[in-house]
Amino acid sequence: MNKPRYDVGHLCMLIGLVGFTLWYLSDAIRVSFTVPNLLLIMPVAIAILMLALAELLMSWRGGKLFEAVDDEPVREILPIILLFAVYVLSLPWLGFDLGTILFVAIFLRMKKETNWYWVIGYSVGFGLAIALFFALMLPYPMPMTFLPID
Amino acid sequence: MIDVAASISALSMLMTSLTPWLIVIPGIIIGLIFGATPGLQISMAMAIFLPMTLYMDFLQAMLFLTAIFTGGSFGSGIPAILMNIPGTSSAIATAFDGYPMAKKGKHNEALGIALASSVFGVLVGYLILFMMIQPISLMVLKLGPSEMFMVILWGMTLIASLRGEYVLKGLIAGLVGLLIGTIGFNEIGMARGTLGSFYLFDGIPVIPAMMGMFAASELFRIANKQFIVENKASRKVELRKIGQGCKMAFQSPLVMLRGCLMGVFVGAVPGVGSSVSNLLSYVETKRRDPDPDSFGKGNPKGIVASESANSTSEAGSMATLLALGIPGGGATAVMLAAFAMHNITGGPQFIREQTDIVYAIIFANFAQVFFLMILGLLFIPLLANIIKVPMRYLIPTVLVLAVMGSFGLTGNFVGPFTVLAFAVIGWLMRRYGYSVPAAVIGILLGAMAEKTLLHTYQISGGDISYLLERPVTLAIIGLLLLSLFGRHLLALMRFSMHKMSAAKN
Repeated sequence: MNKPRYDVGHLCMLIGLVGFTLWYLSDAIRVSFTVPNLLLIMPVAIAILMLALAELLMSWRGGKLFEAVDDEPVREILPIILLFAVYVLSLPWLGFDLGTILFVAIFLRMKKETNWYWVIGYSVGFGLAIALFFALMLPYPMPMTFLPID
Repeated sequence: MIDVAASISALSMLMTSLTPWLIVIPGIIIGLIFGATPGLQISMAMAIFLPMTLYMDFLQAMLFLTAIFTGGSFGSGIPAILMNIPGTSSAIATAFDGYPMAKKGKHNEALGIALASSVFGVLVGYLILFMMIQPISLMVLKLGPSEMFMVILWGMTLIASLRGEYVLKGLIAGLVGLLIGTIGFNEIGMARGTLGSFYLFDGIPVIPAMMGMFAASELFRIANKQFIVENKASRKVELRKIGQGCKMAFQSPLVMLRGCLMGVFVGAVPGVGSSVSNLLSYVETKRRDPDPDSFGKGNPKGIVASESANSTSEAGSMATLLALGIPGGGATAVMLAAFAMHNITGGPQFIREQTDIVYAIIFANFAQVFFLMILGLLFIPLLANIIKVPMRYLIPTVLVLAVMGSFGLTGNFVGPFTVLAFAVIGWLMRRYGYSVPAAVIGILLGAMAEKTLLHTYQISGGDISYLLERPVTLAIIGLLLLSLFGRHLLALMRFSMHKMSAAKN
């Protein structure tokens, strides 16, 4: 499909995994440099570093270091991820009812739903119903804009 | 072998109240829907509906989740047959002959074969579980922390090595998951990787992480699609022909029984489960058949082999979960989370002390078989319609459910934030070929792995020769090495034999 010719994502991912492993190992060592504390973490971290190095070398030799396995178009997926991130991060301010209505409506518009009745009807209907359902089910208050919190 | 008193107690638990049964039917329907919708996994359904089990007692929660599992195991075969798209990895082999049958206009018969094989598989699987659960638990009692640790590692290795060409990536994913699973306080009271946040003292919230990695990341991946399947013609269904297909399934009793046995034993191996059992059963049936060339072209035996094995695997993975407290795959990993939510630890002690509950779960699954048969027949036409739901409606609906469910689990925004973070991580992992199930199993088992290793260290006093006195540990190490290097070893042996025979000639 739209597989990019040169994708640095795999390399970045490997660097990210190695970076996390090194940071976590150093944090564990900082807490306590004792066998019981590092019994699992140290060997696992070393194994990850060795495997990551092997993966790096093998991918490089096989010419696959700059390739994605999945060929789904990133340009169409990234806005969805961004929208989902904004939805989740804005929930404490927007509340579950308004946040969900906006998220569903924007999602439908992004995916080219042209029928405004459907866009408004489904986002408002589903957003309010699901927020109300969880608000009634959960024993603690959920942030809301329209619906009652308790 | 069978505890009669516990059996009677289990039956009375199930018979005296209607409540447990009220959640079985919705559970099977949810499983059917998620299984039948490509891209929606059974484990995803269980993870999304897991928060609802907070309001159920343990038995009800398990019945609900096993009902989803049972429904999903058949549901996944529907799109595999109709559209050549396995609903889940456990129905891959179903598509090999199911779709060619559908292309020949025999999709109704193929659906009937799949339904009958699934129903029979679940029945046989739980029958074996009922008879073997006590011996398994007694055997497991003899396992110490070193054996448990090796089983955890072996299970993870098996999952990681499932995608043959990406073994290294699978291992990296599993091991990183293992590290993430150890974040927070350990057994000796030391907090690692918390960044000073008290929200992380208890570790990463596992279920929201699982929701993000399994559900949300997969939805991102398929977000560009308008519909999962565009072809309407392949969705027409006739009940009469499905009934004929059910009869056809029993014309290959040996294939069905072999599939069941392979399913239950392969399913019991941690980390393998139905994803592998359906393929193994298919390959073995094809190998033994007098006409192997007919496979892949619409041989009904191919569907029987695959569906009987994948549905029986449920009971096999339940055996591991109940007897060892170790999940066999994604679905049982969610069940393990349900165990934790109800403050229950699976394992020999649980089986010994709560035999009646274990039996009640098994008995309820016998009944689920009949519900599956009826609901399967009723829902096949409807499920085809669900595949017509545009992705633009399906995706936000499921994402919202995941976010609200995770808030319900943690009681604060750590849940939704975890879903978001692990959804992105999961999407990146899928994109670059890193095994998501391996990472999830790693996160789930990280703390347990560290605990069992620490106990082994304390018992042995740090003396490595202790392992030499543990034959089971050594055997599992052998299996672990075999699963990692077996393929290479076999290739090497074949190569040297070929060389030797060439030299002789």
